[in-house]
Amino acid sequence: MKKVSLVQLKENHKAEVVEILGGGNLQDKFMGMGLFKGKEVTKLSHIGLKGPVVIKVGRSILALGHSIALKVMVEVEE
Amino acid sequence: MKKIYLIGNPNVGKSVVFSRLTGVQVISSNYPGTTVEIGRGELLLGQEKVEVVDLPGIYSLEASSQADEVALSLLNEHPKNEIAVINIVDSTNLERNLLLTLQLLEQGFPVVVCLNMCDDAVHRGVHLDTAKLEELLNVPVISTCAVTGTGIKLLIGRINQARPAVREKLDNQGRWALIGTIIEQVQKLEHRHHNLREVLEDASVRPVTGLVMAAGIIYSAFKFVRFIGESIITNITDPVFCNFYQPILEKMTGYWQEKGFWFHLLIGDLINGKIDFKQSLGVLTTAPYIEFGMVLPYVVAFYFILSLLEDIGYLPRLAILLDNILHRIGLHGYAIIPVLLGFGCNVPGILSTRVLESRRERFIASTLISIGVPCVPLQAMIFGLLGGFGGFYVAGVYGVLFSLTFILGLVLNRIMPGYSPEFLLEIPPYRFPSLEMLAQKLYFRVKGFLIEAVPVVLAGICAINILLYFKLFDALTAVFAPIINGVFGLPKEAVVALAIGFLRKDVAVGMLMPLGLSAKQLFISTTLLAIFFPCVATFIVLWKELGFKDLVRSTLLMIVISLLVGAVLNFMVLR
Repeated sequence: MKKVSLVQLKENHKAEVVEILGGGNLQDKFMGMGLFKGKEVTKLSHIGLKGPVVIKVGRSILALGHSIALKVMVEVEE
Repeated sequence: MKKIYLIGNPNVGKSVVFSRLTGVQVISSNYPGTTVEIGRGELLLGQEKVEVVDLPGIYSLEASSQADEVALSLLNEHPKNEIAVINIVDSTNLERNLLLTLQLLEQGFPVVVCLNMCDDAVHRGVHLDTAKLEELLNVPVISTCAVTGTGIKLLIGRINQARPAVREKLDNQGRWALIGTIIEQVQKLEHRHHNLREVLEDASVRPVTGLVMAAGIIYSAFKFVRFIGESIITNITDPVFCNFYQPILEKMTGYWQEKGFWFHLLIGDLINGKIDFKQSLGVLTTAPYIEFGMVLPYVVAFYFILSLLEDIGYLPRLAILLDNILHRIGLHGYAIIPVLLGFGCNVPGILSTRVLESRRERFIASTLISIGVPCVPLQAMIFGLLGGFGGFYVAGVYGVLFSLTFILGLVLNRIMPGYSPEFLLEIPPYRFPSLEMLAQKLYFRVKGFLIEAVPVVLAGICAINILLYFKLFDALTAVFAPIINGVFGLPKEAVVALAIGFLRKDVAVGMLMPLGLSAKQLFISTTLLAIFFPCVATFIVLWKELGFKDLVRSTLLMIVISLLVGAVLNFMVLR
């Protein structure tokens, strides 16, 4: 297993969140939206050239700006 | 009971429930952050009138932004036993919404849970056991569909049963675990194939298909606005003005022997012995024609298309696609929403920059909107006047404004300290817009336009005519004519029109109509009107939102830039 960020996760792939880097404020915000360690997410798309990443968490669709997406680490098989 | 608070996650339909409860019409749309101001209204509960407060959406009771703090401080204004909280929940996404519900219960608020958008949930194959949820939460749970009004009566009937439920206090991890078990007991998902709506939802957030869709949607939106606007003008307003109103006025003028001050004020100048709505400049002739015959049709057309896109839920998807570009000018994708609202009228556009996080972003967005985003009344006049010379010129004005906005954004992003924050945004599902809600929203916006515009236009034309009659503009003209003529290549009469731009931009273009300007002169003057000083309403809202210092900064920028652009256009681009 390998730890990568949401930016590196391939489109249409599912993965489990293992770590959220960054400050408590961001963690709280994610927590409120239902994204936290242990949650399974599906990456829907990534708008190229440092654009946002779109993921599905539970029944919600979230769009994360590029540098925020870099802070959400998920585990994928090598 | 002193107050009822409506609280819930962003974009669960709080404002629609609020309108249903109080009869107070507020704008609601299918994207998070529509409500930037706190809505207040009253509900008759038995014999008692109770104030209802519509709070902006929040995800959690742990404040993470300034807007959250405002909502929370309002919620704690009164002792808990004197209020009721209606927790509005999106039935299609119960899991995410329950975190806030549990927090409200743990803190001892008397709560009624309102499972909103229950019809949409059924469409999406989500079935909720309301009775079971009520048992698990130990507070009343009512399912509603606020858009159609289903369940609202039941909700009102049970507000009195709002009660605190004693719960053990958990941390967020614990709450999410508990929510998992609640969901298992109350929610059943029907497995079904992707329908067209879901395919489109998906396609619009992917790079290639998304951009193709965006280009198609923006192009057709623009075409539709023009088509609807033109159709109203040729089929409704022009016939009414020419075949009905003009004969009445002409009969009136026929009895008018002495063509003195009052004639000048009310009718204006006769062109070849006849009233010309575009050139006479009277309070009864040109003033109503500008507002009702030229601007109103486009206001209706624009707000119809904008409201449609809002209610479908397309705008946040546009935000994703444009995030990249907007980052270069110091904003992020969500800034597209204030910009689009600004195309209707700069005032609501600037107000909605509150959805942006930092002061820096708000300054950049507000300044760019007041410089580079022409409002519908101004655009309608540009179409009406410059369109006569060919679409090329109209496109040219947009081209100049667009490039200017982009360049200015790049520069501001460079020179202003700080950086542009990233967005974290929930993308709503597409919803089929309710025709009733759409019609209400359109009516509300058009009414707002008429109330704000008509008195100003009438008073404005009245004041202009008095000043012109007594030749009081001559001093102003004498001072500014050298600049207007020397730098911009415009005749000295245009000074008055540009000055009127501070009052209203559509009237200002109206003042240009009788001057017989060339295409080049019209191009320069309308572009200048867009960039130059904001109109007085925008000016006030800029002051309120940015403070005096930033207002001055923003205004200075506008003046310098319009001088520059006017001169460049006059001497270098158009010859």
